[in-house]
Amino acid sequence: MAAGRGSGASRARRRSRRARGATGARRRSRTGLRPQRAAAIALAILAFGAGIYAGRTVVRLDRIVRARFEGQLFRIPSRVYAAPIILYPGLDVERAGLRAALARQGYREEASARVDQPGGFHWEAGRVWIHVRAFDHPARPQPARPIELRLRGSHIESIRDRATGHELAAVPLDPELVGAYYGADREQRELVRIEELPPHLVDAVLAVEDRRFERHRGIDWRRVAGAMWANVRAGDIRQGGSTLTQQLVKNFFLTPERTLSRKLHEAVMALLVEARYEKEAILEAYLNEIYLGQRGPTGIHGIGEAARYYFGKPASTLDVAESALLAGLIQSPNAISPYRHPDRARARRDLVLDLMRQQGRLGEAEYEAAVAEPLALAPPTVEPRESRYFLDALRRELPSAYDHELLTSGGLTIHSTLDLRLQQLATEALRQELAALEKAHPALRPSGGQRLQGCVIALRPQTGEVLALVGGRSYGESQFDRCTQARRPAGSAFKPFVYLAALEAGGGTPAITLASFLEDTPLTLETPAGPWQPANYDHEFHGRVPVREALERSFNVATARLGQQVGIERVVDMAHRLGITSPLPPVPSLALGAADLSPLELARAYATIANGGVRPEVRTFEDLVDANGEVRERRAIAFERVLDPATSFLGVSLLAGVVDRGTGRALRSGGLTGPVVGKTGTSDDSNDAWFAGFTPELVVVVWVGFDEPRGMKLPASRLALPVWLHFVREATGGDIRGDFAPPPGVVVADVDPETGALALARCPRRRPEYFLEGTEPTDTCPAGGIFVREREGEPGEPASPIERWFDRWIRGLL
Amino acid sequence: MIRLPCPAGSAMALAALVLTACAIPRAGGPGVEPLRLEQVAGRGDAPRRASTRIVMQGLDADAAGRGEEALDDYQSALRVDPTNPWAYLALARQRAAGPQPRAALAALDQAEARLRAEGDLAPGVEAHLVGLRGFVLVASGDTDEGRRLLEEAARLAPGPWGDGRLDASELR
Repeated sequence: MAAGRGSGASRARRRSRRARGATGARRRSRTGLRPQRAAAIALAILAFGAGIYAGRTVVRLDRIVRARFEGQLFRIPSRVYAAPIILYPGLDVERAGLRAALARQGYREEASARVDQPGGFHWEAGRVWIHVRAFDHPARPQPARPIELRLRGSHIESIRDRATGHELAAVPLDPELVGAYYGADREQRELVRIEELPPHLVDAVLAVEDRRFERHRGIDWRRVAGAMWANVRAGDIRQGGSTLTQQLVKNFFLTPERTLSRKLHEAVMALLVEARYEKEAILEAYLNEIYLGQRGPTGIHGIGEAARYYFGKPASTLDVAESALLAGLIQSPNAISPYRHPDRARARRDLVLDLMRQQGRLGEAEYEAAVAEPLALAPPTVEPRESRYFLDALRRELPSAYDHELLTSGGLTIHSTLDLRLQQLATEALRQELAALEKAHPALRPSGGQRLQGCVIALRPQTGEVLALVGGRSYGESQFDRCTQARRPAGSAFKPFVYLAALEAGGGTPAITLASFLEDTPLTLETPAGPWQPANYDHEFHGRVPVREALERSFNVATARLGQQVGIERVVDMAHRLGITSPLPPVPSLALGAADLSPLELARAYATIANGGVRPEVRTFEDLVDANGEVRERRAIAFERVLDPATSFLGVSLLAGVVDRGTGRALRSGGLTGPVVGKTGTSDDSNDAWFAGFTPELVVVVWVGFDEPRGMKLPASRLALPVWLHFVREATGGDIRGDFAPPPGVVVADVDPETGALALARCPRRRPEYFLEGTEPTDTCPAGGIFVREREGEPGEPASPIERWFDRWIRGLL
Repeated sequence: MIRLPCPAGSAMALAALVLTACAIPRAGGPGVEPLRLEQVAGRGDAPRRASTRIVMQGLDADAAGRGEEALDDYQSALRVDPTNPWAYLALARQRAAGPQPRAALAALDQAEARLRAEGDLAPGVEAHLVGLRGFVLVASGDTDEGRRLLEEAARLAPGPWGDGRLDASELR
């Protein structure tokens, strides 16, 4: 019966279910055993779905973890270093700015001469002790080295290696950081390997951040429980229970928001990381990742970078107290910055030391010694902002394979040619002189959104090294580099190429000698654009003028005539050989500098003249080393002879006259003495002002103008020259080394300044002049006279019969 | 600084100069002492002396087969004194033995121009200039002229150039 009833009821239920359709599910849930089973099934399905979802999530998170850990773990901006300062006996340490350089590099000034740690120095009258830091380079690894300099006045008398007692010929300091190529995050780090770190550093970090790191599997449940209890009691989230692994996961993969979902992801990923990787690898990643402060706009990440920044030394050499300070900073690097809050920093350091002692990671005696130590920080260093233009120029010199991505993440090391002292001086010279110009000349003040601009580039002529490059007044304001990216009419700064083309024998007879004369008289030339009539700056014509005077006073008409005489093609050829790379239109006005050039190429061409006709390859870097320590690019010194030394010397001699007597004489009145040569350049309508010049070891080109050309109504001698003078005077300290000596192939003969003829004994006027051998004048003063000249006799006195005979004999010999 | 020269001397003085010049033995006589840098290390001003000692350090590295380090030393030497002819000479020697020997010619030219300008082109130096030029020419295929120059160098300084090459240690 029961079965029958049951069977009937069952049929009825089935009928009823079919009739009610979808609403039956709601009812099932309200009634008896069957709904429970259904719920269980539903739950099982739900659980299965959740399991699938969780599993997929875990797989996804695992993939993320593996991609990071097994790929490029860190994005490391490539660093650029300056050329090292080389110390040697005889060096003037004041002029070289040694003390300032040590401070910039974070060398600690110590109270005694002991200086037993790399990165310290002690300065006394007559003696300096420096513990030079090690520097790693594949070709020139420099060990850390304690040295003692003995000074006489401000000059180094001797250098002694304190470890060996040996006298040293020269010691390079570890090179100074110029800057780095940052990504959007502006993070800088120096990677460390865990086996290189002192054990007390690891102990300090573990003591304060994760004391059970060695024992947990990614999550420290005891710590989580403790934190939860503390938060429940406080009624707020006050404490976190994150392990070091969780912190690493959070920094690597997650946002800092405090949500349950993020916490769950963090926990799962921490477990995955612990399951997949060794503790040491996790700890190493953590120590390289952790944020430890700020260096200007750049975040300091990792123990290695922090050790350099706070203590001026590698992490491998940190002592217990220093390690404890860094470990203490992890919690809140800016709030307890040892530079801004030394008391807080010291208290935090001492807390870490105490934790280390409590946990048995530090003995009592070590604790006492470490707690007694002062903070002993290196002076805070900032990346020199004035080098940004240089960094951009260097990036453009690199092959295209070194793109933004590689430079900002590849951890490359680039050893540049930059001289940071000169770079700072150039920046300052430009800044001060442009400000002074604006103050003195209202027409130069900002208007229409435009500000007076300028650039300074300095090269070493023999090697082509770019020593300083300032592409504008402010990189923050405008990143356009006026030294390498701008091309503007060079004006008269181009003229030396015309004179050199005319002076070059080139297998024949040169068009002129330095004793020749040029016509500075009205000139009209037919060109495709119509007749061209050059004019002088003073709107006058000067008649027949000596070659020297024509360049010294920058006469346009005489130079235009000379260009025609030589042939513009030869002028173009000369300019290109010397180092001009821009296209040069073969038009008559080219002789007056109508072509657009960059200051960089003008500097290169002047460097060739300074270097006796040998053109250097311009370089902004020496080598590029990848993250594995392999040299990937090298720019070795390279040069090529493009002009014979004798002709080149005549060009130098001409340019010397510009400074001694011509448009560049303000250099002399400005106090610059010694071997200095150069040329002003003012373009049409005074839109561009140039000064290009050199000493035997330094070529400098300055450009001043507006980005949108605007007439400045002043000559270059009052615009660009003051910047040049300011910079070179500071750079050389007024003591310019070297000389421009005439090479073989140049002879000297006395000439009559009024005619250019060879001055003989009875010639009433005379001045010595340089000639290419064999190009001395054949005309004589007095006309038809003899070769012999007098040294001691009065001009115009007749020569003796013996001298006449001797003269004929010599002539016959020659 | 360029100094415009004083007017030249009298004919007697000129004649004396010519006669004196004729009396100077020309490079190439047997018994010429080939130059070693240690002989000139103490010459010149402080930058020159330091620079030359760095060049010597580079020659040591070169002799020990550490070419990159040597190149770095030569470049450092030029940073201290960019006019040091010995640095160019050492650079030329290194490049002559390298994969692009013709690149040595520019350095050789620089060395020669500077030595001439400084009046330091002694016969013992000239032997090296001639020999290195010959070495480069032979290495780059101009064997006739190259061999002639090498023979000339060997005649001038049979010690270092007897084997047709100049080792770093022989220049040091």
